[in-house]
Amino acid sequence: MTKYDVIIVGSGACGGWASMALGQSGFKVLLLEAGSQIVPYRDFHHRWPYEMQFHGMGQPGLLRKHFKGSTEYNYRIMIDDRENPYTTPHDQPFRWSRSRVLGGRTLHWSRATDRMSDLEFKAASRDGYGMNWPISYKEIAPYYDRIERFIGVSAAAANLPQFPDGSFLPAMPLNCAETIFDTACRKIGFPATPRRVAQLTRMLNNRPPCHYCGNCFNGCDVGAMFNTVAVTLPPALKTGNVTVQCDSVVSNVLMDNENRARGVRYIERYTHHPVEAEARVVILAGSSLENTRLLLNSQKGGLANSSGVLGHYLMDQISGTAVTGFLPQLKNTAIRNDDGKSGGLYIPNFTNIESRSGKGKFIRGYAMSASGGAAQFPSFAADLPGFGSDYKKHVKSLYPSHARVWMSGGEMLARKENFVELDPEVRDKWGIPVLRISCAHSDNDRSIYADFFERAEELFHAAGGEIHDARPSIGVPGSLIHEVGTCRMGDDRKTSVLNSFCQTQDVKNLFVFGGGCFVTTGDKHPTLTMMALTARGCDYLIDAVHKGDIA
Amino acid sequence: MTRRDAGWLVVRAAATIAGQNFFASWMSAAAHEHGAVAPPEPERWNNYKPQFFSREEFGILESFTAILIPTDETPGAREAHVAPFIDFVVFSAAEYAPEMQSEWRRAMAQLKTQRFGGLDPAGQLSVVEEMSTPESEGFSAFRLIKQMTVYAFYTSRVGLIDNLEYKGIAYLTEFPGCTHPEHHKT
Repeated sequence: MTKYDVIIVGSGACGGWASMALGQSGFKVLLLEAGSQIVPYRDFHHRWPYEMQFHGMGQPGLLRKHFKGSTEYNYRIMIDDRENPYTTPHDQPFRWSRSRVLGGRTLHWSRATDRMSDLEFKAASRDGYGMNWPISYKEIAPYYDRIERFIGVSAAAANLPQFPDGSFLPAMPLNCAETIFDTACRKIGFPATPRRVAQLTRMLNNRPPCHYCGNCFNGCDVGAMFNTVAVTLPPALKTGNVTVQCDSVVSNVLMDNENRARGVRYIERYTHHPVEAEARVVILAGSSLENTRLLLNSQKGGLANSSGVLGHYLMDQISGTAVTGFLPQLKNTAIRNDDGKSGGLYIPNFTNIESRSGKGKFIRGYAMSASGGAAQFPSFAADLPGFGSDYKKHVKSLYPSHARVWMSGGEMLARKENFVELDPEVRDKWGIPVLRISCAHSDNDRSIYADFFERAEELFHAAGGEIHDARPSIGVPGSLIHEVGTCRMGDDRKTSVLNSFCQTQDVKNLFVFGGGCFVTTGDKHPTLTMMALTARGCDYLIDAVHKGDIA
Repeated sequence: MTRRDAGWLVVRAAATIAGQNFFASWMSAAAHEHGAVAPPEPERWNNYKPQFFSREEFGILESFTAILIPTDETPGAREAHVAPFIDFVVFSAAEYAPEMQSEWRRAMAQLKTQRFGGLDPAGQLSVVEEMSTPESEGFSAFRLIKQMTVYAFYTSRVGLIDNLEYKGIAYLTEFPGCTHPEHHKT
């Protein structure tokens, strides 16, 4: 059997980065991916709705029942719940959207790339709730720089303490609806800036810039948006040190008699043969919850769980229904290309920045986004009354003016009672116990959502908009696909699973990269922080191995 | 995208190593007018034979959907093949959404009790008019047919391009942002 220096489980944002960083440092890396291989140039194309069998909705019932969060365009790179089930208590639904494919969710993510600030990392010191992160903004900032420069982030400097600026490519221009909202934000004192997205506006590292086709959610055909397959994997493979093995479903970490990880056991996806792979260091870099599932399945009571907090403090940022309507300034105007960049206007959190709590209603904060214009489908049309030629004309006149303000993410409080465990009975297609997920909102979470809705209506009115649909309904946990926690980092090994380098407190040569380490959700999109912590963890790992500290 | 833009994009893409992959795929894609021009309506709806609805029901569906989205200065539901699409979708619901088939059976029964198929165009129009009021007994059938008609129409080539004049799914070298000074004024 080949003995590798490092085994990395999972090829998403963090696994891809780790394989590149470690391969470039001379480590022999085995990258295991449970899903199949993807070649973007071959597999992704611009597609029109009428080219799909069901015009994008998929066979009736199929996606809703078995491929959560997907569309007819992309469901084949999403997980089939029949093969990969999970369970929840009856009264606590959780919506878990997953991908199993080389590159993972980077292939169809929203590309939002935000830095967290010390207002989030050290929030516990400010308002007394929960635990601080074991790192500060100053410690993570150089890694934010490194990631941003490599993956390419188009953005504008905002000069806000709660939303640190970074190394940016030029921002994508705002469309008319976004410009109107931007102007309204200035009028009522909301901060606003183009959404920061890992999408090129200039050529970078031989990657072509975005061509504004708007197909990002279905996979980028040219690698202009950040994903593992186009960005981190090519340089990783170029080192000759990285072996990628798809269709390998890891079931658990293997341990030796000296409390060291010696490798992993995986199951061949199609043959179902179990195989052992060995390495000096094991890195779990699947999704937040899959990593935790592997630790839970590796040892009774959970591997690296002397703290007892493994599986606990599950969070997903708060989301919910948006405020939608029409901007009268844009009614009956010439149709423009409004959705080619699929970005939007970002309104960073502005609550609890100066004072400790916003009007005493809640702690922590949330961010909003706003956009509008001629989209690929006039989602308002079915609800407009009437029919006939007048109806058709009405739809057409409103089409370029349709707009929405939505919640980009609110901080869901970290609470121990939100947790995952192994289901005692249900197993996946490969015989691996599945997760049972228990997650519910707190009163603070609901207050944050309620505040968002009021502010979103305020913004809509300030823009001169006519609200068409305003039915506040907080999203089922998991809906935002920002699920983090369950494997949190900390300074105290009694209350955390990982240290600040994502190394398990209990097993020196076992690391966990991804959102599992998050102590809080903050109000920013999580991917950049996951990647920065991965880069920082890799630096530490490389140094420690060279010093002979861990393997 | 203009021909000149396309030429510039090709030069720029070919100038790099990664661009060579992109260039190869772009060239093959260009052969299919990939993205730059919307492909024609698929041929599968020509001479379509209903699979879920009977001949009579299918005729009713065609008339009803054409009243909802008529052919006027721009094409309507008939040109967008809305009735064939609906038949295909409802037929395909057997596996994962059989409840959808029952809903459509009920809607069709409602139209039959109104003798919709036997009415002249003016009669059909007044039935649709009556069903479109929320208090009407036929409103749930109206809503069902309207929702699916709207979906089928605006996702078709005729609806999206000929009617809405959608400009997306393009190849652009720069995104055309807002150029209206009045949108910047507080």
